[in-house]
Amino acid sequence: MSQSPLRVGLKGVWREVRFELTGRTQNRHQLGGTWDEWYATFSNGWVGWLAEAQGRFYLTFHQPLPADATLPAFASLQLGETVSAIPNDTPLMVYERGTAEAVAAEGEIPYELRPGEKFDYADFSGKGGSFATIDYGEEPPWVFVGRQVSLAEIGLADARAAERESSRVTTAALGCPNCAGPLSLVAPDKTERVTCPNCDSLLDVIQGNLSYLKALAPSDAPEFTLSIGNEGTFADGTKYKIIGAISRSVTIEGIKYYWHEYLLYNAPIGFRWLVHSDNHWNFVEPINAAEVASSNNIAAGTSAIYNGKPFKIFQDAAATVEYVKGEFYWRVEQGETVRATDYVAAPLMLSQESSANEINWSLGRYLTNAEVEEAFGITDLAKPWDVAPNQPFTGGFYYTWGLLPLAGLFLVALLMVPLAGSSAIVHRESITLVPPAAGGASVVFSKPFELKGNRNVEITASAPVSNSGADLDIDLVNDQSQEIESVNIPVSYYQGVENGESWSEGSPTNSASMSSLPAGKYTLRLEGSLDNIAQPLPVEVKVEQGVVRGINFLCAFLILAIVPILGLIRKISFESSRWKNSMFSSSGGDDDE
Amino acid sequence: MLKKLYLVFGGGVLMFYAASSLMGWEIANSGSRSRMGVPFFYTGFRGGK
Repeated sequence: MSQSPLRVGLKGVWREVRFELTGRTQNRHQLGGTWDEWYATFSNGWVGWLAEAQGRFYLTFHQPLPADATLPAFASLQLGETVSAIPNDTPLMVYERGTAEAVAAEGEIPYELRPGEKFDYADFSGKGGSFATIDYGEEPPWVFVGRQVSLAEIGLADARAAERESSRVTTAALGCPNCAGPLSLVAPDKTERVTCPNCDSLLDVIQGNLSYLKALAPSDAPEFTLSIGNEGTFADGTKYKIIGAISRSVTIEGIKYYWHEYLLYNAPIGFRWLVHSDNHWNFVEPINAAEVASSNNIAAGTSAIYNGKPFKIFQDAAATVEYVKGEFYWRVEQGETVRATDYVAAPLMLSQESSANEINWSLGRYLTNAEVEEAFGITDLAKPWDVAPNQPFTGGFYYTWGLLPLAGLFLVALLMVPLAGSSAIVHRESITLVPPAAGGASVVFSKPFELKGNRNVEITASAPVSNSGADLDIDLVNDQSQEIESVNIPVSYYQGVENGESWSEGSPTNSASMSSLPAGKYTLRLEGSLDNIAQPLPVEVKVEQGVVRGINFLCAFLILAIVPILGLIRKISFESSRWKNSMFSSSGGDDDE
Repeated sequence: MLKKLYLVFGGGVLMFYAASSLMGWEIANSGSRSRMGVPFFYTGFRGGK
């Protein structure tokens, strides 16, 4: 039983050359998992291999090496290493090496397949979907170079449509060898391990048959928020079914941190992951390792680049499988440990999982609770209690577009300069205050003067005071209505020397301002209290209108700055919460949406 | 919704600022021993002595 959209006899087109799938081999990965390789015979005499693994397709052709080219020995291959001996437009990097076992063949293939025969291989990826594999089962090793392709690219798009129809009947019903209870496989041709829903046994799936492996301790069972079998339709309209769930953990400074991962399956697309950690959710899909530029030396400040976007290092720890439930495309086991390195650029998270023989990169996208609830048709998911590593900050508006009113304020202020008019002195007069002891009047009036409407008013008083002062109560009297507006202007200046240091206070000139008054004729009424003055004091009084003081601008600026400043404080606090959970918190910064 | 409200509020502050500049309304500073002068808007004199 197979869910493959391909079959022997299918005809396609690659680079305008027709081909036919004439044979098929099936191989098994050393950690479990099988993949198919389809032998493609082209109308122009080419022959190639169309490999199919986890819903992805790779078309490769045998590439004879130049006489002087030397391939690295299988044992010396390092994951992440670039092998320049393979002829290709872009460098090819080792992302997997292992030993496979030939399982079966059908149709016409160019060699005799011996089931159970083992051979070493290494897979390479390069930018732009480049792909290569070296078969170390031959001497010298054979190199196959090509690229990842879609079925549509090779003229087999219809095969996918046919597969969708067939996928409805591909679920396999089996019996548990431990408890004899019924269980079914959603992806029977890809599943390597499954747990029995009746007795919690972990079972191996070998060519459609189940064998008992071990019993999972019931006390280990965590509570998964979503259930095996739940179906979710995500924003792009793709429907996935949850076929497996894993509880994993990392131990940092002696403390275990747990999270859950759900294995999603859609027959034509393959596998994806839904990660649930601290009530945050991420949709995760695999990406080409060659498209990621990263450093092997991980430290604070290290970053990885994918699609031209930098991701900051967040975590680097050993992730351990604590519990499994459902079916899986590899031989998952409790205690299985990989090195997991996470880089973040909210709302994305770039993750590398590396083991001795394989490097896998994946890209996670943060999902809100509402998105997950909508996808699975559920409600009341528990709310997150902390900031997730790649959670986007949603308040950026307030310190970005929120600055628009502030920018508008500067613009309006510039426009107001010509519209509001320039300042003008409307009256200037020297008025002499005579101390009562010298026989002077206590109150003195100025000459009348005109004030315009819609202009502020500023009164400035200056007097030749020295170690003396005058406290001036000035009334602005409307000659028509006799109504009065009062201001107080102290004019005083004191200076001296104390302990060898000179000091001074006050000013011989001071002013007071007021908002606009009704237009009309006004007179100033001055009353002064003189301090340390025995002689008549000449006071220069100046009345100005339309004085630019900036107080309104300052007030408007402060009002409009409150929200952006609060937004910025919130952002800093958000980033601080994000990076306090990182092993590399010194690299914290302003990831943004 | 809050974002729209904030932009409306910001626009209101700008309009108020522009109107104040044109009308000569201002927060007065009538000296260190001020009796605060006229308020922001002219609402009539506060009387004299």
